[in-house]
Order: sequence, then C-alpha cells, then structure tokens
Amino acid sequence: MQTLALYAGFGLVTASILCIGAIGFTMQFGISNLFNLAFGATMTAAAYMTYLCNAAGLDIWVALLLGSVGGAVLSYIVNRGLYSPFRRRTPSLFAMIMVTLGVGLIIQYGIEAIWGATDLSYTMSTGRSLHLAGMVLTTVQAIVIAIAVGAAVTVHSLLRYTRVGKAMRAVAVNERLARNCGIPVRLVVDGAWLLSGALAGVAGVVLVMDVQVLNSNSGSDFFILIVAAAVLGGIGSPYGAMLGSLVIGLVAEVSAGFLNPEFKDVTSFVILVVVLLLRPTGVIGSVASAKEVAR
Amino acid sequence: MSSAWQYYVATLIVYSFVYIIAAAGLNLQFGVAGVYNFAYIVFQAAGAYFTAVFSLGRPTSSGLQTYILGLHLPFPLPLLGSAVIAGLLGVGIGAVTIRRLRADYLAIAMLVISLIATNVVTDTTSLFNGATGISLVPQPFTSLTSSATGYDWIYAAYAGFVCALVLLALRVIIRSPLGRSLRAVRENEHAAAALGKNVAGLRLFVFGVGGAIAGVSGSILVSFTQAWAPSSWLYGETFVLFTALIVGGVGSNLGPILGALLVPVVLAEGSRYLPQFGSPTLVPSLEWIAIGVILIAFLWFRPHGVVPEPKRRFPQQGQRPAVTVPELSGLLDGSVVREEAR
Repeated sequence: MQTLALYAGFGLVTASILCIGAIGFTMQFGISNLFNLAFGATMTAAAYMTYLCNAAGLDIWVALLLGSVGGAVLSYIVNRGLYSPFRRRTPSLFAMIMVTLGVGLIIQYGIEAIWGATDLSYTMSTGRSLHLAGMVLTTVQAIVIAIAVGAAVTVHSLLRYTRVGKAMRAVAVNERLARNCGIPVRLVVDGAWLLSGALAGVAGVVLVMDVQVLNSNSGSDFFILIVAAAVLGGIGSPYGAMLGSLVIGLVAEVSAGFLNPEFKDVTSFVILVVVLLLRPTGVIGSVASAKEVAR
Repeated sequence: MSSAWQYYVATLIVYSFVYIIAAAGLNLQFGVAGVYNFAYIVFQAAGAYFTAVFSLGRPTSSGLQTYILGLHLPFPLPLLGSAVIAGLLGVGIGAVTIRRLRADYLAIAMLVISLIATNVVTDTTSLFNGATGISLVPQPFTSLTSSATGYDWIYAAYAGFVCALVLLALRVIIRSPLGRSLRAVRENEHAAAALGKNVAGLRLFVFGVGGAIAGVSGSILVSFTQAWAPSSWLYGETFVLFTALIVGGVGSNLGPILGALLVPVVLAEGSRYLPQFGSPTLVPSLEWIAIGVILIAFLWFRPHGVVPEPKRRFPQQGQRPAVTVPELSGLLDGSVVREEAR
C-alpha cells in the first residue's frame, strides 16, 4: 500500500508533464487537423533554449519562461512557414505526416549537430523532499504538478469563457463554418499554435527538470506517451488530454514499480494501440468524430 | 584494385542490393497497394534475427549470448524460413489495417508497433540477446573460397541474384490482374469493394508478401555483417525507406531501385568522403537533416519522384484512339483519380 502511494506520487508528476504536453499536442490536431510529429523535437528545442539561458546565469524559472516563448515562436514559424502552405498545396494526410516527421528529424538532429550526444543538465536545486499521504516528492516536482494544474485551468478558462477560446473551439469542430460565420480563422489558428507551442516548451523544460538529464532525444522519447495520453482521452479534446494524461501517467509509473521497470513505456504503448484499434475516437470523441479519424 | 578497395566496393554492392530489395517490398505495400506500414523495418529485423537463430546452433552455456531456438540449418533454409516467418508476422500485424483508420492514425499505430517491438526485443535478453544483439552469425558458402575478398564478391553476386529474383516476382505481381486490383484498392477502396474485390484480403496479401521481402533483405544483410542489434532497426530506418521511395518514384518499377541508390546508399556513403570535422556525431546528424530536407523538398516540388508511375494505356477495340487512364497515384497529391474515356 505504501509503495503504491509512492509510485502514484511519481505517476502524478509524469501525468503533470504529460498533461501540459498533451493539451498542446491535442490543440494542434484540433485546430489544424494534423498530427504534428515534430512536437517532441519542439519540446527538446525549448529545453535547450532554457539550458542556454540557464547556463548564461539566469534563474531556472525565468529561463523556463524564455524556453516556453522559444517553443511558441518555433511552433508558430513551422506552422506558418511549412505546414499551412503544405496543407493548401496537398490534401494528402500521408504527405503531411511525412512532413512533420521530417521537421522533427531536422530539429532533433540540428540540436545534436550543435551540442553533440552528451547529456546536459540544468543548474538548479530540487529543493527538500515533501512527504504527503505516503508520496515523496521534491519541491520541484510539486511545483511541476502546480504548473500542470495551472495550465489546465488556464486552458479551460480560455476555451470556456473568452471569445478567442470560443473561436478556437469553433474552428476545431468545423473550420469552413467558422470562417463563414466571420471568425478570423487565420488569426485564431496562429494564436492556437503560439499557445500550443508555449505548452510544448513548458512540457519540455519541466520534463528535463524532473528527469534531470537533457539530450537531443529527451523530447522525442517522451513524445509517444503524450500521443498515447491525447489519443486515449480523445484527440482534439483538451479535457480528454487531461484525463488521458492522468491515466497514462499513473499506469506508466505504477506498472514500472510493480512489474518490470523496463516495460514502463510498453504498457502505455499497448494501451495506445488498443485504443487506436477499438475506440479510435478516444474517451471524449467529439472532435475526433468530427474529423473522421475512423470510418 | 587493392584488397581494401575491393572489400569496400563489394560491401557497397551488397548494401545496395539489400536496400533495393527492402525498398521494392515497401513499394508493393505503399506504392502499389497504398498501405502505410510505418513498422516496415520490424519485418527486416525479423528476417535478420530468425536467420541468425536458424543458423547459429544451440547457445552454449559458456557463450556470451542467449537466444531462442538455436537451430543449425543448412544454407537456403535460414533464408527461406526467416522470409516465411516475416511474412506471417506481416499478416498478423497487417490485421491492424482491417480497422479502417484515417491515414495518419494508421501511420501512428504502425509507428508505435515498431517502437513496442524495439522496446520488447531490447529489454528481453532471452529473446535475441537484448540490447547487445546477436553476433557471430555464420555465413553461407564459406567453403567455396578461402580468400576473404573472393568471398565478398561471391556474396555480392548472391545478393544480386536474390535481388533480381525479388524484382522479377514483384514485376509479375504488379503487372498481373492482382496488381491491378491492388492499385484499384489504393485509388478508391470503396469502388474496388463495390466491384467485388476483397479489400481486406488484398491488404493482408501485401502485408504478407511485403513482410517476407523485407525479411529476405534482413536475412541477406545479417549473413553478411554477421551481427544484428536493436540499434540496426530503429523506426528512423523506415522513414529513410519511405524517403527513398518518394525520391525515386512511388508506384513505379524503377522508382524503388533509383531511390534506394540515391537516398540511403549515395547519402550514407557520400558522407564517408567528407573530412572528419566537429564532434563525431556531427556528420551522422547532418545526414539525417539532409534526409529530412530532401523529403520535404520532394514532397513540395516533385511528389511523384524522379521516375513517376507510368500512365497505363489499354488498346481499344474499334477505330477509336487508345484510351489513357490517368493513373498517377493519388497517395501524395490526395486527388481522387477519375477514369475518363476520351
């Protein structure tokens, strides 16, 4: 029982990182109808920008902000400069997925070309350990959980209570109808990519804060878990992403604790494949159904 | 030629044939039948691993590696057996495609299956010796020659022979009525189903045959390099093969050959002549960046590749001129091709 609580604690931390990333990833799918396989590489890129700022002497939390700005700008540029023109030129989903994979490789190996294959880490203190209902967390891990809750609440309020959020939801469900209703789709799409890119940036940085190792694979190794969380919850739905993150995060850490730790990712991957085959729209499937992910 | 040069050239030839076989099998799946198999490299790996365990003999208790089976079969059996196993595995995994997912969803599912396979093989040492991989795989027909250089040339000839057989078999399939059905499924599966084609069965067929061909490529590769490990078949390799197809020309007969020679062979071997600069990972990183850039450039400027799939012409009875069926694959430009008889 005690060990269960311990692993559940780790699971909450993983779920928090997943939650931040999965909301961003799922928003990109919702708004642009596209699986952005460069999302993991964007996370890594933001984590490296934070590393640069941190190494230049900035406090890690200030560097985190700058990293998220970097993630937002990078995502915006990639969407505006590459994905949007491609989608106008070809409606082929396969071509798009190859393009996003290509962009991911370019970013990831661009980082490796600059920094090499060595592991880096941030200059920061993890703070003292907190004991809470059988869970043992460092202060940084507790802050990560708080950031995730903050991100979830912010996204919820944005989508639910603001005109911009309403416009985003409208574009996600039916872009043409939204355009015909006078919504400035281009601006809304740009806003959504900036926001989701910022979330990618935060997710990349807090991931490195948690595992304390940064290399060119950091983001892309973690990325499939984000896909699993987003698909399980229902791709395109931010609430689904939150739910999926909680499930995947807990399952990954608890199964790692009780089964073979080496199969930590495999359990989540198997969940992903089973969901894709049995219920491809996920738990909250409204956006996924609207986009006809399965016929 | 000095023996070092001979060794280099022979190795290059073997690798070229391996890549051509692999690209041709993927072309049957993706180019002809339109299935997105992002787990393709898993079948090459299956071919390689099973060739290894079919020819290594029992693992000794003092040996450094552990693996399943441990048979010691004479020459053509490991090749054929591993091709059959890779083909069966293809049919099994291909069953995933029966559920009709959106193209990018299916791609993700296959990508994840590839990652699961890598994870499981890496972490289960009893299967294929885990992350270290299997080494010291015995080579066929070593009794023919005693000189190492001579052996490399014999092996290159053998690889070329198998490659020719595979290309011939694929040519027969693609030109047959079966191939026509596959193209019909690719262009419009609903129309094909309405005409009585068994869409699911045709897809399973290409998964099986394509998987077996990938298995053959892995088998030839492992008998030559004598070693195989999880790092030899990361999902990025599948991406390289897709890039090769898109560069060469999706769906054409010449496309996979040209693409395999241009992308993996020229790019990987060309970088060998670059002077060593920067960190040791710099040149391989630049290779990956180049592959990404080439892929995106081709998708933008020339999505049908250097050698596009030819338009097929059918002679018409009577005096009307020949009918041209525009059969440029709609895979990459997403267009639905309508048959127009002019």
